[in-house]
Amino acid sequence: MLDRHEAHDDRNLGQDLPQRDAAPVADRAVADREVPLPGTAAAEDGPALVIHQWLDGETGEAEARRADAKQVDLWKMISAETDQRRRMTTPAYVAANIMAAIPEVRTESKMATATTTPTSAMVEPKSAPGTAVLMAMCAGIFAIGIVIGKML
Amino acid sequence: MTEEEPTPADVDSDQDVISRILTGERDAFAMLIGRYSDPLYRHALGMTGSPDVAEDILQTSFIKAYHHLGEVRGRFDAWLFRIVANGCKDWLKNIRRTHLSYDEDDQPSTFASPDEDLDRTELRQDLDSALAQLAPSLREAFIMKHVEGRSYEEMADLLGTTVGALKMRVHRAREALQTLLEEKYD
Repeated sequence: MLDRHEAHDDRNLGQDLPQRDAAPVADRAVADREVPLPGTAAAEDGPALVIHQWLDGETGEAEARRADAKQVDLWKMISAETDQRRRMTTPAYVAANIMAAIPEVRTESKMATATTTPTSAMVEPKSAPGTAVLMAMCAGIFAIGIVIGKML
Repeated sequence: MTEEEPTPADVDSDQDVISRILTGERDAFAMLIGRYSDPLYRHALGMTGSPDVAEDILQTSFIKAYHHLGEVRGRFDAWLFRIVANGCKDWLKNIRRTHLSYDEDDQPSTFASPDEDLDRTELRQDLDSALAQLAPSLREAFIMKHVEGRSYEEMADLLGTTVGALKMRVHRAREALQTLLEEKYD
């Protein structure tokens, strides 16, 4: 999933996002009101900022250690735990439960099929019995008729 | 010579798979479950702290997605992520109504049920407890960044917000976790 998302990041090429991220922190354009501006209390918090930059992959561990070695050790412990969680997988029975819970024949709301997006071109499955089913039913009735006729 | 890896062109796109499902090929839905269940399970587990609840949210979300496949607009993975993320937030809202507020609760693990027989390390328990005390938006940002390993751009894409806002949420989450954990682990 991650790779698929990364592939979509190409859509932003030529726009402001990659250029902004490539610029030094202090020179970045303000993209959101929540971003601390240079000169604010958060931006002046030097050691904490370096730790964030290290955790965001924007600076090396050596520099982060110079800023606050204890925080680096703490975050390395936390990272070991989060890395372990990143390898967790869904229990196998969950997929089986989902497939067992969904109906054999799909039912879709009318609203969903009344649109003009690409998915609207998708055809709803037919719920009416097909020609083959009708022919089989007729053949069955005919056979029963023959059996009853012979019995009489 | 080893077997060649399938190229992206060989793999059905989500839209192709959805088309097949909508034309009656029900079993193709298993392909979508296989593609997306793991990252979504990790998200739900990180948000709720309970494997049982995470499984329930995942199952409910996939079933809901199946019934509304014809309504998918744009990327299926982003649409499905929003269903799961909203499921987690709804669960958190409900649990808040029935439990003590996180600020008042000093239990080691807010959501761990007595039946959970997980061999958790002390740090794992402490991290779970600390995460449970964060506001849902901060927890979500931290989980997406540090547990799911997503880029800020990807997070912004999925959550419909800006990179700057998400950086700030992650920074605040880290600072809160540091405060909660550093006393014990310093």
